[in-house]
Amino acid sequence: MKTDSIKTNGLVLLIIAGLIAAISVSRWIDAHRGPLNAGADDESLYLNGKTARRISLAFNGLAADWYWMRSLQYVGKKIINLPDNVELDDLGQLNLKTLAALLDTATTLDPQFLDPYEYAAVVLPSVDVNQAIRITKKGIDANPNAWKLYQHLGYIYWQQKDFQAAADAYGRGAAIPGAPTFFSAMKARMLAEGGSRDTAREIYRQMFEQSNDDSVKDMARRRLMQIDSMDERDVLRKLLTAYQTRTGHCPATWKEVEPVLRSLRLPLVADAAPMDPSGAPYVLKGCDVELDPKSEVPGK
Amino acid sequence: MDATSLANPIEQVKVSHGDGGSMSRIMAIARNVFREAVRDRVLYNLVLFVLLLTAAAIFIGELSGGQERKVIVDLGLSAMLLFGTFIAIFVGVGLVYKEIEKRTVYAIFSKPVGRGEFLLGKYLGLCLTLLVNVVVMGIGVSLALMYVSRGWDPLVLVIWPAVFLLYLELMIITAIALLFSSFSSPALSALLTFFVFIIGHFSSDLKGLATSLGSTSARWLFASLYYLLPNLSNYSFITPAAHGQAPAAAFVAMTTVYAIFYIAVVLAAATFVFSRRNFK
Repeated sequence: MKTDSIKTNGLVLLIIAGLIAAISVSRWIDAHRGPLNAGADDESLYLNGKTARRISLAFNGLAADWYWMRSLQYVGKKIINLPDNVELDDLGQLNLKTLAALLDTATTLDPQFLDPYEYAAVVLPSVDVNQAIRITKKGIDANPNAWKLYQHLGYIYWQQKDFQAAADAYGRGAAIPGAPTFFSAMKARMLAEGGSRDTAREIYRQMFEQSNDDSVKDMARRRLMQIDSMDERDVLRKLLTAYQTRTGHCPATWKEVEPVLRSLRLPLVADAAPMDPSGAPYVLKGCDVELDPKSEVPGK
Repeated sequence: MDATSLANPIEQVKVSHGDGGSMSRIMAIARNVFREAVRDRVLYNLVLFVLLLTAAAIFIGELSGGQERKVIVDLGLSAMLLFGTFIAIFVGVGLVYKEIEKRTVYAIFSKPVGRGEFLLGKYLGLCLTLLVNVVVMGIGVSLALMYVSRGWDPLVLVIWPAVFLLYLELMIITAIALLFSSFSSPALSALLTFFVFIIGHFSSDLKGLATSLGSTSARWLFASLYYLLPNLSNYSFITPAAHGQAPAAAFVAMTTVYAIFYIAVVLAAATFVFSRRNFK
């Protein structure tokens, strides 16, 4: 009996000690291993979409989820290393070489999976616009009744300032039964005033309301703030120019123009500086106005 | 049915022979296969499944970009198919072999039990085990869906036709495992059944090859393979279910009829082979 107990305790101790030793050695290896090749994340995929679909048997949906999550992690890992906030639709600087292949594979494995198409429409144009258009069109071929995909295609063309193609995409989307009424309005707007801020506001408003992806929603929200801020800065510049014309000099502080700012009903902080849509104060630079470096409103 | 469970089936078969008939003998064997599976802790895979789903339900939201419902269905039903296939193959191939290996088959066949009844009982017993497994897993997926949706989710109803199709696929695989195990060793039977599972999911490729190849003999070969091997891709409704699409009732009915015919053919072939085996 006593021998059994000693044996049991000895085995438990051995398991615990062995685990601690293995974890310690693993941590030592992690700490002393050289940095991974920076390009390791950007290696080409071993499998293309068609092959992956073929070998995934009945598990193609799960494999598509895997590639989708890999796409998010791939972009997330690159964004997290950047010192400043960058917009999801302006990631060209990140060299996202593998993103198109990841999204293409995810959508080949599960052609009805709509979120990767949206991600391709939002993120890919700044990386490779042709791939963004190709993947979105592939989605339309596989899901001809998914009006959202026409919205994504219209968005890509609008970003490229190809307003005729954008109008065509919205027009084709409008013909789908169940498509929202704004499609017809967007078609007309693209043809009449494709480059206007109102058009941009409408596009991002629709994107914000309809996206399921929090990162896309957040990007649309920040773009909407940017458009509002551009309008506000235009008003402020006019005000400052009028002040200069009247007094012969630019205001040194916002206090000097506080009564006019109050009459415009702009929200002000303690030193009378007007606030941008994110709540940060605008910065007065002579007769010009700029965004605060800490502002959440995108600069470009 | 190993030595520890030997007393029961023979007793039950003996009793059932007196008052029942072929069906009660089959059911007695089936009940014992189920009991043996429970005793062998086959259903312990449910614990792993629940752990997997719980982890997915809690953590997948952060990784999937708002697609946790789709991922839960894909993961849950895929795991159901994978675990079920492993049970069907690895338990299925041992059903007959273990009886021969331990010589308990002599005791059983010394009673008035036909070889076909024996095989059918074994088959139905494993199907019952798989049914319990699949139903519990389906409930697990439903609960996980309700957890990530913070309440009722319409996908909870949509997944059940897919679960039913998946169960039919497992029934076909079990029948095939039983066929191979009626004349081959467990290792070879498992390998062959696994091949059939894989090729069964490539049925559209077989059909494509049958129509696109130039050689007439090759066309015949692939056309024959297409019709002889089970068309398991018909039972893959996991991905559409994850998108909230249920199969049409006519499709479910026809795939059920196909499964019944196919299983009948395979079990008849297994009985044919097994009846001719000499245990002396």
